Amino acid sequence: MSDAPYTIDELMIATLAREYTNDTRAFNGAVSFVPVCAYLLARKTHAPDLVWAAGSLAVDAQPKAIAESTLSDALWDGATSLSNSAYDFWSYAQGRRYNTFAFRGAQMDTFGNVNNTVIGSYDAPKVRLPGGGGMADLGCMLPLVYLWSTTHDPRTFVEKLDFRSGMGWGDGGDHRARLGLAGGPQLCVTNLCVFDFEPESKHMRLKSLHPGVTAGQVQEATGFDVVIPSGEIPETPAPTGEEVRILRTEVDPTSARLREFR
Amino acid sequence: MTEPARESKLRTLEEAAELIPDGATVGIGGLSMNYAPMAFVRTLARRRVKDLTVVAVVAGMPIEWLVAAGCVRRVLSGLVSLEGFGLAPRFRQAVQAGTVEFEEYSEHSLIARLQAAAYRLPMMPTRAGLGTDVLGLHPDTMRPVTDEVTGEAYVACTPLPLDFAVVHATAADTRGNVRVEPKLMWMDAEVVRAAANTIVTVEKIVPESSFRDNPAATSYPRFLVDTVAEARWGAYPLSCFPRYGYDGDFFRAYVKAHGDPAAGQAFWSERIDTPESHGDFLAANGGAHALLAISRRTV
Repeated sequence: MSDAPYTIDELMIATLAREYTNDTRAFNGAVSFVPVCAYLLARKTHAPDLVWAAGSLAVDAQPKAIAESTLSDALWDGATSLSNSAYDFWSYAQGRRYNTFAFRGAQMDTFGNVNNTVIGSYDAPKVRLPGGGGMADLGCMLPLVYLWSTTHDPRTFVEKLDFRSGMGWGDGGDHRARLGLAGGPQLCVTNLCVFDFEPESKHMRLKSLHPGVTAGQVQEATGFDVVIPSGEIPETPAPTGEEVRILRTEVDPTSARLREFR
Repeated sequence: MTEPARESKLRTLEEAAELIPDGATVGIGGLSMNYAPMAFVRTLARRRVKDLTVVAVVAGMPIEWLVAAGCVRRVLSGLVSLEGFGLAPRFRQAVQAGTVEFEEYSEHSLIARLQAAAYRLPMMPTRAGLGTDVLGLHPDTMRPVTDEVTGEAYVACTPLPLDFAVVHATAADTRGNVRVEPKLMWMDAEVVRAAANTIVTVEKIVPESSFRDNPAATSYPRFLVDTVAEARWGAYPLSCFPRYGYDGDFFRAYVKAHGDPAAGQAFWSERIDTPESHGDFLAANGGAHALLAISRRTV
């Protein structure tokens, strides 16, 4: 079944889902269709005890479909618990009762920091983006941060962010540890490849290439120098037929995930 | 012997909106697509109040309407967008044009600032923002500190007192007791507690006995609330869990219209700004048919 036909969104979601385990205690933010699908897929396949709070408040939600807003109560159906944001959610996040978060940005740098604030200068922006929301909080508070991007190009993966809205590995090296922050970004899944982070420097490092993509193409699409390990770079494992079926028919029957792939 | 008369805090939406003067700092409840006091926001926008500082932890449509009506000087927020429907077009254009100032905070730093105000403490600590550029935007209100005893780094967020809080809820009595059913989930309580004056819009006015029968369910006791206004479907086109969901058709049409300035202006005028009463507004947006489509449970 492993050579079943699949599309890039399904490859990215399955790749993220496989990172999650029964010890994953996650929630999601705004416009987070890819990670929401990944949590649900992981829960329906190998990680039935994974904790996911829909829109950060609705624990164990079982939405029949994914709405236009991943922060909305439309995603709460079937929840076993509804949290209060200020008292429950923020204590679970800062207290590390939750351990996993995922975000993307209009720009991303080699250390997995993200910008969702402005393109150009803050005071006279060329583009005023929606804002970092909880990125500046949750990038600091959660030990397991996952990044994704559906637009792997030099405009997104930049040498220098116009604004650091969300904390990844900061300036690299031991910057997070010096600030007393646990963990950091684990993986960045893009539409071309998967990056992990070089353990010492915390630079993004090529981990696997999606089928048909070369390391040269990844470098060309990336505005900073990609750490490319010597030897052959493995191909990103394809989703199984079962994963694709569950994703299409049970997790996201209305294809809300494609909102991120326009 | 007759009992002394008790104050009624019940006002119309229009009377409640009259309370907010030009230049006020107003905190708005709800989050993103959920539970903002939209009927009040629309009424306030129609008054063309000026130079507001609007505080909203995560918001979209309330900021859009107040910006469209020229009411806003400054926005303090973590995120302003229409989520999966798109960017917030009026807000974005106004900030890019420099007519509205956006002080971006992170969600938790704003909450911490509201909590500091609520508790009347000089600061509330958080780890929010460490290592990010958000700190650099706010040297006076988000101070990085190293704890003297433990050596741990944190951010001290200074109080953000509000002139007004405006939140939506399920039920209130005329004395100002307020309930959000089944419970309060957003950051509205922080907004209310940080405010000198609180206006609550509710789906329905109920007798005081409704609170005496179930006091554990009360969200805001009456001494936190100054004004109550009834607004059935008062969060529309946003959701009011569990009664109704957001109106996706409204959001789609709003975003589509704003692809063209003239069409955006026409949409704003016909469907939001011109309708006189809240009922007129609902009627201009599909009326009973639209409301039935978003209803979730028997009210």
